Amino acid sequence: MAKIVVLGAGISGHVAASHLRRKLSKEHEIVVVSPNSNYQWIPSNIWVGIGRMKSKKILFPLAPLYKKKGIGFKQAKAISFFPEGDKDEQKPYILAEYVTGDNKGKQEKVTYDYLINATGPKLNFEATEGLIPGQNKTYSVCTYTHADHAWEGLNEVIQQMKQGKKAKILIGTGHAKSTCQGAAFEYILNVEQELRKHNVRDMAEVTWIANEHELGDFGMDGLLLSYGSMTIKSKEMVEMIFEDRDIKWIIGAGVNKIEDGVAHYETLGGDYKSETYDFAMLIPAFSGHGFKAFNKNNEDITEKLFKGFMIVDADYSPKPYEAWSVQDWPETYQNPSYSNIFAPGIAFAPPHAISKPRVSKNGTPISPSPPRTGMPSGITAKLVADNIIDSIKNSKESLHHKGSLGNMGAACIASAGYGLTSGSGVSITTYPIVPDYKKYPKTQGRKLGKTFGDIGLAGHWLKLALHYAFIYKAKMRPFWWLIPE
Amino acid sequence: MTQRISKYQRFKMMNPIIQFFKFIYLSIKIMIVVAGGHGGTRKVN
Repeated sequence: MAKIVVLGAGISGHVAASHLRRKLSKEHEIVVVSPNSNYQWIPSNIWVGIGRMKSKKILFPLAPLYKKKGIGFKQAKAISFFPEGDKDEQKPYILAEYVTGDNKGKQEKVTYDYLINATGPKLNFEATEGLIPGQNKTYSVCTYTHADHAWEGLNEVIQQMKQGKKAKILIGTGHAKSTCQGAAFEYILNVEQELRKHNVRDMAEVTWIANEHELGDFGMDGLLLSYGSMTIKSKEMVEMIFEDRDIKWIIGAGVNKIEDGVAHYETLGGDYKSETYDFAMLIPAFSGHGFKAFNKNNEDITEKLFKGFMIVDADYSPKPYEAWSVQDWPETYQNPSYSNIFAPGIAFAPPHAISKPRVSKNGTPISPSPPRTGMPSGITAKLVADNIIDSIKNSKESLHHKGSLGNMGAACIASAGYGLTSGSGVSITTYPIVPDYKKYPKTQGRKLGKTFGDIGLAGHWLKLALHYAFIYKAKMRPFWWLIPE
Repeated sequence: MTQRISKYQRFKMMNPIIQFFKFIYLSIKIMIVVAGGHGGTRKVN
């Protein structure tokens, strides 16, 4: 009998737990430890943030589902890792603290045979002075509660515009090293469409601000993609959309301080500037959770497990951008020091960025961190689960299932406006996610045909279809496993 | 100069009939890319 503990119940943790439960017999125990009581389908937060979808439509409580499916659930947060156990406990364990109910504040040693760390990122708002969701007129759509607040803030500004007051809206990244430009890109297009629907578009100046050196970088070093009968750069595609929507843009900007209605930023050119606004949605920097790890003798071994995020089978040796390769990226997400610990999804430490690192004339790094999206999170979680399942069934370590971001495709269906007949979406697929400049030297590291873009109403329908399909899958309804990650 | 979206392109982007077929086409194409498999990148000795 094996006990598998999954830390986190987001896309990655939930996918891992559900596949483990489906494929392993009941004699094996699966326990999910998460401080969150609900599962949330994060990609639809965009629609919550424009008031077109209620947050209850994108979430459901985890405890009843896990009880029904025979998955243990502890609503607790992980505090520290003891991969060798300690003097009193022979088995490796996680020290977790309950966050709710009668046990709130109580700590427990959760032992395991296999550990899947799917804790995702910490939303590091503190990294930017004054960037606090709901304060200084800045908002976030990173969680459903943030998105609810964002809609309240946006609606207030829309009502003011209806009274004749002009407004400035600023959307993008809130730190020089932020990622998730795609989410901000979706949000700015949705907000712009909402302003038109409320007949206040001419009252608003909408501006994109980002740490990308050019539009369409998306933290992926940009894309060369098939678009209809043409081959264009993602920069040209995004420029075309922004021009069409009359959205201004500020790029190469590292936001470093927020005051009430003012964003201060440094440019790649070394200038210090500021931009005023009445409503802003700025994506924060992501970071690891700051977990500590200890060995059997209670000595600190954090550096064996963590490098901000968790260390896995990547090549972390420092090298210049020109020497980066797809081989640097992990394949099995296994920790090299402890073979029964894995970190799929967003929890693993990337070997380096994907976009070329850039610094301002003052020496400040201003460039996107690697993007962390739902699709690779699900795929990597499933392959980790499959390797653990094989290892248990064969009674020996099996790492047959592999999935490097350098050999994996992904789809990004970016909503560009909500509405069954008036909506729009920008559908982009990329293969591979991390560009392989050796294999595809003439097409910016990616395979044309498998890397394509499309704009239109069908994109909105696709995003809506994915919303319903993935919530169905997450609820583990009949034949849920037929829906791919 | 930045390319602009023409009136005809916009008509195609928002026409529900054209977009219905585009939806089918994109669904299949995305499925091929995403479910088309994944693997490692390192050589096994």
